[in-house]
Amino acid sequence: MPILHTQYETEVQQPDGSVIAGDPQHALVAQGPCVQIIFGLAASLATQIIQQGHPVPNPVSGMGLIDTGASTTCIDNSTAQAMGLPVVDVVKMMSASHAATDANVYPIQLQLIGTPIRVEITRALGAELKGQGIIALIGRDFLANCTLFYNGVTGGLTLST
Amino acid sequence: MLDEERQYFSEHGDELRRQHPGKFVIIHGQTVAGAFATQEEALGFGAREFGLSSFLVRNVEQRADIEVTVPALALGLLRADPSHPVRD
Repeated sequence: MPILHTQYETEVQQPDGSVIAGDPQHALVAQGPCVQIIFGLAASLATQIIQQGHPVPNPVSGMGLIDTGASTTCIDNSTAQAMGLPVVDVVKMMSASHAATDANVYPIQLQLIGTPIRVEITRALGAELKGQGIIALIGRDFLANCTLFYNGVTGGLTLST
Repeated sequence: MLDEERQYFSEHGDELRRQHPGKFVIIHGQTVAGAFATQEEALGFGAREFGLSSFLVRNVEQRADIEVTVPALALGLLRADPSHPVRD
């Protein structure tokens, strides 16, 4: 059973200028449950394209924020466009503050770096995320394949399949 | 993106439901390239036919663009940083 365990860390600067390790509990509060991920074209499409003798887009790695409030995984739209991922649908992304906007739908495969935990997400939404320091918002469609243990007390996160 | 394909799907929805009930169709330009029992089959076929070009894959029973709410994005709460401490 593949397991990813992450203990969150932060650094705190003392009045004398020295830097010490901060409290993991606060580090998890501040950073949120971020994990290192890599995503690329969904395998079901990549296989077909490779069989035709064409190259597939190189996967991209970065940080993903786990969001149990999101039913659907979102990926950074500008990254997806730069990779050349195909768009297979468009949905209306609702907003509380402005009119609904169009969001591209991409077929991707998302993997947690350092583990074999890899999930095909045939309908990931494109959203502008890079400005937030992440390339993906990991939603419940990914988490449907995992067990997630968020330990706020110790500042740790465990994901397994 | 996919404006032409979405327009076609919208205008020919009734016809597609009659011809391919319950199926996932692939639309490229103004052409229905195929109808499949599963989304995965449709995506595989689309990649084989169109490579990395964009194409529309939809279940014919879908009546309009799907509306999705991702609360963190809809409410602008991504990386929200409360002005007061989370705990004492």
